[in-house]
Amino acid sequence: MSAGGDARERVCRLIEAARVIRDPASDLGRRARRDLVQSTDLSAEGVELALRECLETAPTDAELSELLSSVGPAARAHVILPANVFVAAHRAIALALASSASVAVKPSRREPHFARLLVLAAPGLFEVVPEIRPEAGDALWAYGGDETLDALATRFSATRVSLFARGPGFGAAVVDRAKATREAARALAADIVPFEQRGCLSPAIALVAGDAADALGFAKLLSSELEAFARDVPAGTLDANELADVARYRDAFSYAGTVIPAGPGWVAVPEEHRLVPAPAGRNLTVVATSDPARDLLPYARQITALGVAASADLRTSLAAAFPDARVSDLGRMQRPPFDGPADRRPF
Amino acid sequence: MTLVAASEALHARVRRFASGESDESFDELGLALARFQAAHNPRFAALVKSRGARLEALHTVPAVPSEAFRLTRVAVHPPELDRARFLTSGTTTSGQANGEHPFRTTSTYETVALLWGARALVGAERQPRVVVSLAPTPAEPARSSLGFMMELFHNRWDGRSLDGGPYDPRSPERWLVGRSGVDVPALERAAATARDRGEPLLVLSTAFALVSLLDELAGRRIEAPERTAVMITGGFKGRSREVDRTTLRSSVARAFSVPETHVVAEYGMTELSSQLYEGTLPWVELRGESDVLLEPPWLRVVPVDPITLDPVAPGEVGIARIVDLANVDSAVAVQTEDLVRRKGAGVELLGRRPGARARGCSLALEALLS
Repeated sequence: MSAGGDARERVCRLIEAARVIRDPASDLGRRARRDLVQSTDLSAEGVELALRECLETAPTDAELSELLSSVGPAARAHVILPANVFVAAHRAIALALASSASVAVKPSRREPHFARLLVLAAPGLFEVVPEIRPEAGDALWAYGGDETLDALATRFSATRVSLFARGPGFGAAVVDRAKATREAARALAADIVPFEQRGCLSPAIALVAGDAADALGFAKLLSSELEAFARDVPAGTLDANELADVARYRDAFSYAGTVIPAGPGWVAVPEEHRLVPAPAGRNLTVVATSDPARDLLPYARQITALGVAASADLRTSLAAAFPDARVSDLGRMQRPPFDGPADRRPF
Repeated sequence: MTLVAASEALHARVRRFASGESDESFDELGLALARFQAAHNPRFAALVKSRGARLEALHTVPAVPSEAFRLTRVAVHPPELDRARFLTSGTTTSGQANGEHPFRTTSTYETVALLWGARALVGAERQPRVVVSLAPTPAEPARSSLGFMMELFHNRWDGRSLDGGPYDPRSPERWLVGRSGVDVPALERAAATARDRGEPLLVLSTAFALVSLLDELAGRRIEAPERTAVMITGGFKGRSREVDRTTLRSSVARAFSVPETHVVAEYGMTELSSQLYEGTLPWVELRGESDVLLEPPWLRVVPVDPITLDPVAPGEVGIARIVDLANVDSAVAVQTEDLVRRKGAGVELLGRRPGARARGCSLALEALLS
């Protein structure tokens, strides 16, 4: 199927479709709110938050130009969508439309609705398919776990299909002791709540540049902010394996640190210097450090996003140390500019 | 009573219990250990408090997650009293330190390992045998609990030179994995020595070393004496090609020309002090089906629900909560992530609990800790 028009026009049509879905008064907006609660395990308020805060519908011209120039042309583009973050379909399809007028999208089995809603709002712009069939000269954008991506890489290794794979990763927050305030905790909570920490931009760990008391103090602020947030946006549902991971995390750090109840989740402060990312759900590990960049370096290949409340110097040094990560203020980790792939790591 | 005196007294009680010389019940002794550990280890006391446990019955004692051994020190005593520290397997690529299980004394470990190991691998006759390991020579001091146990078995059940000279517990003739892989000629020499002496051969090995052996043999067979037995432990952890348990067992049996019942699985963890075995060897006291691991009387495996940590219904699969009375100075109850099911007198091991569903971008704790 070919949508025709130039790349900018195609992407703008997609953005307009996203605006329709974002609008709670539109038919598709109402349907989205109904369907997505079923498919995402998020609460109704969680779906609303994601549509309102994380679905990009107003990029600047400069951002759009950057997104368009971030991909090369392809005869046809194919997309295998992720399940974790439903709004990610929007950007993934935009990148495909930027590279080709002919786009086929295979939605996730767990979350098939958002892509279908987009195509209902923009008929003919792309095709939703049960299976993708790329051929030589095509581009394939794939989002998923390592095993899926490895299988795709093997399958297309001997072909002339260009594979753009995006795999697991996580975000980290870095907070200067001087900026470890309630406002920073509130902003970090706003990064934690969307998508229940299942996304690749979700912060799984926070480093407080300071001593153990600074980390504990910030952890307490964060736990109270997460508790407050849960009153407005109740937590979604975790599956059995996620709940088991949370139980294990809670008990491991009850033994090896301090665990603070945080509404539906837990904030853990390890007794020893251990950077253990928190499991899905509203959980976070808070660690004191004297050198955040040094401590995060072993995770460089996994870190997709850094949310920072720190001095300009520290922010600059983090950006230099992690050139592939998106560096933003706290509270904006889940809202990267619409200027290319959310995950900028090489693959 | 000082910490060391209290610990010594408990070690003595556990050794008496293991030797069948005690009137105490498993639960009484387990509870005494839990109270001792809560009194002398603030981390365990914090876990007890966080779970609201009152330590009035053994089943209410919170199990220490096995990850805790990698996150902090799990011991009632200070590091300066450590006699041994066995490292947990793990990776340093993520920046995490390896975990360790510290021991103030290894005497109870040795007692229970020999007691149950003999019942599973040697039998009542205690006939001399040639014992070798498909493993590298252990470091000094021992850093691997498996290497420590293998050396213990060499010393106690063999203890003689293989080549006529003085006994050297670190002889490369006995530790048969080097930089270039399994030393097949040395294994063949050990088998020949056993045949010449009219003794059985006991081969202690990890699963991945056996896969390497099979690869190097390429279909050839080891001319092993009658009553040769192979103890097989552990998984693969990406160290060799993976082979399913049934195929590995039959291939190993064929390579040594012995019945499959002579290939005996062992289950141990660095975080524990005791081991479980299959009871399939015809001449030993332990009796059980293949793939069923038998606990010693001083250890209990309870399958529990991964979320509530409550015991699951009989016959259901759960993650293994292991109460090991020989863990006197560390954690009497350890919560593992191994899936198990009670079967007959033992447990079936069904692999690791899968982490949270593979959500494209999520990264499980497991991936960074294992």
